[in-house]
Amino acid sequence: MSPRFGRCPYFLIIDTETQKVETVENEGVRAAHGAGVSAGQIIADSGCQVVITGNVGPNAFHVLNAVGIRIFVGAPGKSCEQALKDYNDGKLEEVSNSGPYGPGKGQR
Amino acid sequence: MRTIAITGGKGGTGKSTISILLANKLRNEGKKVVLCDCDVECPNDHLLLGQKLKNPIEKVWANFPKLNKEKCTKCGLCTQKCPSNAIFQPPGDYPIFLHELCANCGLCWNLCPFGAIEVEKKVTGEIFTNNLKTQNSNVKATSQMSNLNNLYLVTGRSVGVVEETGPIVSKVRKFAENFAKEKRADYLLLDSAAGMHCSVIRALINTDLAYAVTEPTPLGAHDLKLILKLLQELKVPTKVVLNQADLGDRQPIDQIAENFGAKIEHEVPYSREIVQAYSQGNLHESKCAITKRK
Repeated sequence: MSPRFGRCPYFLIIDTETQKVETVENEGVRAAHGAGVSAGQIIADSGCQVVITGNVGPNAFHVLNAVGIRIFVGAPGKSCEQALKDYNDGKLEEVSNSGPYGPGKGQR
Repeated sequence: MRTIAITGGKGGTGKSTISILLANKLRNEGKKVVLCDCDVECPNDHLLLGQKLKNPIEKVWANFPKLNKEKCTKCGLCTQKCPSNAIFQPPGDYPIFLHELCANCGLCWNLCPFGAIEVEKKVTGEIFTNNLKTQNSNVKATSQMSNLNNLYLVTGRSVGVVEETGPIVSKVRKFAENFAKEKRADYLLLDSAAGMHCSVIRALINTDLAYAVTEPTPLGAHDLKLILKLLQELKVPTKVVLNQADLGDRQPIDQIAENFGAKIEHEVPYSREIVQAYSQGNLHESKCAITKRK
């Protein structure tokens, strides 16, 4: 899993009841500004209730928070399967504050 | 009046130091110089010159979107089209304008089919001027005293949290151009921010000459290549200044400059004198000046 929410290349949208998995490309990955907002918009529109990620920046945190989506971090480098398992086992940390501003485009 | 940009891509290569050394050289030649600090997110030329930014002489205003809920149909068009990702729309709800990400482009209020987006003005920046003659009237007279009469500093500074500072740089530069004409300056020096982004481009575009300041390090070489490419795109005549030229490995710098056909016009050796004057905030009063490469 990518360590960053706003600039990760893809999202996996998982329906935990039906186990249906959908892949969505993150179009905002190359945005000069506001990648977190654009990613947050994709997630909000998809109807997700929970986000599992490496870290969220302030922009993403504020928009996800505004629509009541819960955010869990601590998943960078893990496989998505492992991250989902850790989430189900209650091993991931829920964030109530945003991380630092990311280094932005071109500085990965 | 000639407008010269001082830039370099990499941070910390000495853009501000070189700007002041260049100003010293020009003043020694009897020229009148206006130095404009275009690094509006973190201006610091005034510190190097021992100046304080007191009351802004002018404020920079910008237009931001404001929603008229009575007219908004929540259609989502503004959210989809905003090039700055500065609009977020909770599903089924009104759009939220994130002003700190807004580049004031006006797309949303021109685009909205329902006229639901109004314009509100906000202060995004401040402009300060320092006349180094009056500020330094207490400095004991030296042979260089007469040279102190011909340096002005214009400083732009962003206010609050603004991520997109390009428009502020443009307005600060416009002010500095008018100010320099008013003072009948011979040179306007634009000290840009580090990087290659919009606020740097706004300082570089349509200048008569740009100095790309770099250092003999791998990162210095890497970023020199990027800024030379950008300056080529902008069609700005460019020369290279190699700072701390006697340290590190300069071979890659020579190679890149040659590849781009940019001359290494000046070399500044590591100098204790410069560092001392820099940290004491009196670089402009020192004898340090940039000299042509031999």
